[in-house]
Amino acid sequence: MFKKYQALSFILALLFFLLPAASQETFCKQIANYTMDVTLDTEAKMIKATEVLSWTNDTGYSTNELWFHLYWNAFQNNMSTFLAEAERRGRSVSGLKKDDWGYCRVESIKVVANPYFQEYDLMPFLEFRYPDVENLYDQTVFSARLPDAVGPGQTILLRIEFESKIPRPISRTGVYKDYYFIAQWFPKIGVFQDGRWNCHQYHSASEYFADYGTYDVRITLPSSFVVGATGEHREKIDNGDGTATHHFYQHSVHEFAWTASPRFLEYTENYEFTPGKQTEITLLLQPEHKRLKDRYLNAVKNAIKYSSLFYGDYPYSTATCVDPAYNSRSGGMEYPTFFTGGAYFLTWKGIPSPEGVTIHEFGHGYFYGLVGTNEFENAWMDEGFTSFLDTEIYYTAYGEPLYNRSFFGIPVTFKDVKIPIESDGISSHRQTYNMDVIQRFAWEFLEGGSYGANSYSKAELMLRTLKRFMGEDVFARMIKTYSRRNWFKHPKPPDFFRVVSEFAGRDMSWFLDQFVYGSDKLDYAIGNISSQKEKKREGWFDGEYIKREIETNRYLSEVIVRRLGEVKLPVEVLIVFEDGNEVRETWDGQYRWKRFVYQQPSRIQKAVVDPEFKLVLDINRTNNSQMRKPNRLAPLKWISNWLVWLQHALEFFTILGG
Amino acid sequence: MKIFINFGKGFMTTGKTTKMVLFLFLINLLFSLILAIPMYNSLKNSLGTSEAGNRMAESFDYIWWEEFRDEAQGLETTFAPSIIGKGAILTNLESLFQMRFFSAPPLLIGFGLLYIILHTFLAGGILSTFNQDEPRFAVKAFLQGAGSHFLRFFALMLFSWLFLFVIGAFLHDALLPIIYDISSDSYSEVIPFLLMLALSAITLFLLLFIQMVFDYARIKVVLEDENNILKATGKAFRFVFKRPFSTLGLFYLIFFLNIAVTVIYILVKEIIPQSDVLTVLSAFFLQQLFIFALIWIRCLLYASQWELYRYLK
Repeated sequence: MFKKYQALSFILALLFFLLPAASQETFCKQIANYTMDVTLDTEAKMIKATEVLSWTNDTGYSTNELWFHLYWNAFQNNMSTFLAEAERRGRSVSGLKKDDWGYCRVESIKVVANPYFQEYDLMPFLEFRYPDVENLYDQTVFSARLPDAVGPGQTILLRIEFESKIPRPISRTGVYKDYYFIAQWFPKIGVFQDGRWNCHQYHSASEYFADYGTYDVRITLPSSFVVGATGEHREKIDNGDGTATHHFYQHSVHEFAWTASPRFLEYTENYEFTPGKQTEITLLLQPEHKRLKDRYLNAVKNAIKYSSLFYGDYPYSTATCVDPAYNSRSGGMEYPTFFTGGAYFLTWKGIPSPEGVTIHEFGHGYFYGLVGTNEFENAWMDEGFTSFLDTEIYYTAYGEPLYNRSFFGIPVTFKDVKIPIESDGISSHRQTYNMDVIQRFAWEFLEGGSYGANSYSKAELMLRTLKRFMGEDVFARMIKTYSRRNWFKHPKPPDFFRVVSEFAGRDMSWFLDQFVYGSDKLDYAIGNISSQKEKKREGWFDGEYIKREIETNRYLSEVIVRRLGEVKLPVEVLIVFEDGNEVRETWDGQYRWKRFVYQQPSRIQKAVVDPEFKLVLDINRTNNSQMRKPNRLAPLKWISNWLVWLQHALEFFTILGG
Repeated sequence: MKIFINFGKGFMTTGKTTKMVLFLFLINLLFSLILAIPMYNSLKNSLGTSEAGNRMAESFDYIWWEEFRDEAQGLETTFAPSIIGKGAILTNLESLFQMRFFSAPPLLIGFGLLYIILHTFLAGGILSTFNQDEPRFAVKAFLQGAGSHFLRFFALMLFSWLFLFVIGAFLHDALLPIIYDISSDSYSEVIPFLLMLALSAITLFLLLFIQMVFDYARIKVVLEDENNILKATGKAFRFVFKRPFSTLGLFYLIFFLNIAVTVIYILVKEIIPQSDVLTVLSAFFLQQLFIFALIWIRCLLYASQWELYRYLK
């Protein structure tokens, strides 16, 4: 009785206080708002929760059903779409014990009475749905038929009771010993768009998509646990029975994830990233990574500072970085205001760990978090943009990382081998460029490598090429505008294309289409260079008869530039002569090749196509230049290094001779 | 004291046979050049007339290397920044002590195997040279000695592989699964790191121990003209177990000398920029000096063990 009263009063408060307040104080329309009371049973590894969901139909269409994700049902058996796909990619889950599986079960779902709707039990009207792949074992999406349609602008209020069994970490979420990382864990409403529900099954390669809203969550668990979550940690109430209740609140986000462990070291700092604007950074660190505290915090600060500069001021009051537990498989993931890093306990200067992954996952707070792209359908728009973001920020803040390799588990850096920004992602692109196009549903790529290479690498390389092609200033204004214009929206590729064209001052689809919808390679090369003494003149020249010239001081030089791939972009060519004279040419790249001919007093020294390295998507940079005289020292230098390695190996391996 | 006396004697003996060390060094160099020449051609062809050649001459062109690596076949796959300086040594150490050499290109594995057999042949020559009242190197005598002991040394080598196989199987099939089990249930990566390091140390100790025992077996074959390799091995084991401090002490003294030379090489190599003809030549000279020193130390090991065996017998 008391519980019912509590719930009712809570709902009334939500209706009459929270929603009007939200519309005034939040950053955007709060479409999917969740109020949850959660209890974590650490013995049974179970979550029991009550979820009050207020959902507003923000479209011009009515709907008489609601669709939900139950992501954790991907982990309830080996036949789920997620695990079947994972297995196809070589990740076996055989050998899991009964306690290792996870699920999310709706025990009750009711429409709560409000000015639009009567109270109504929806349980008899639930149905599992398979929008992507017909798989009767998959229960990651369900729909609930409503007695009345929710019209445009109307809000429906639901009360959902559910319990979730926390899986052993299979992917991104779960419990490992006493480390809990809980993400995509509750019945979560899909996105109603253009008169239909966008609510995909959970796939091995895909991430998420949801509407923005307010999350007001109370989590009760043993009081010894340190807890971190999306949003502000408003209070911790000691319940006096060995448990504590943590209250978290965040508006204008589309997910709520949390973590709990008694082992976390917790560090909090206020960081003013631009005059007058600050955010509270919380770092939850594994004890064995204590020496990495400053590196983690600096990485978060750099990420906030430069992201704010490049993509718009970070709007939230908190940023929580979690150093994931070993074996927890929760590293390198992003949730609004809350993300995981990942580090090895041994790392030195010049090695981008934990910085690389920390900046990347924070960066998702922009591309997926603030710019709410559909990760199921347009993975490149969050992964590619974020890869671009993290690389740009890393190189701006830290410079070029050093090549490193681990020996006996100890990373060793090679100070003579710096990794230039242009190399980021090109190797994987080179190996997979013709497998897929980047604009594809995340689960429809040929293989995992192609998903990664296209969604992350190729998209990043395309943005870097675009940056150099448009010019840094124009690109910087363009990308910031695209970001700010689409905060709290769900942009699609044409939305990005429009902003690019706007800033380029012309339609840029000829450029973008080749990369987003095409799988051709970009490869320009110097086909040939030659310089020969000009022929001696004979005959009439400007009215003067020359019988046979005695000597000529000019050279006839020729450069052939070739387009070896199908991607066509205009390109520059630099020709340098032995006397230091330089000639720059521009070629539209339309035909297969172009010949440039010169009469100069000296020979060609070298020719370079794309001398400024604008086309970072070019899969073969080595053939972009030719010198008339090859450098003979380079192969000798490197063979001597290789030779001593081989000599040492032969000598050393005689140990095996007994 | 016995250790230092015999180390000193071994040092003198090796000093007197520096020509032999030079001969062994040349064999190592010529043998390596058989593979280095095609590798050189691969590098030369890949760099071609590209500007990458200039960048590779000055420092390291990472972009060129990634392109080369992505196209690499067979032996070419072994060319990586990790073979520069200290990386060369660490790569080889790790390959052996974490048994990663099986993943090397087949050509390299085959070549390595040939070299081990060649080394077995040469070991006969080395010990024959020491088995003279006044050790002096002469090619003919060296080769005669090598030939006369080869079959027995070859049999000893095969026999030693049996031990190595047992060690490998024990480490791989018994210890490694335990490490994986502990690791998969570990709170932090520190535990698996330490366990793998311990496993490498155990592997190192066992491999070196087997090598040392079979060194004494070979010495026994030459010195006492022992034809029965089982007997020679058994007696070598007994010899070592009876005098563990002397035998292991001498072995590790020379082992640490080897490490000291390696560290000096790495430190000196680090400061040579290799950016012009002179520094490339200097580095090449240093590299070859280093290999020469390692072969010298190998001969020192044989000579010292030879002296110790005679001393204790």
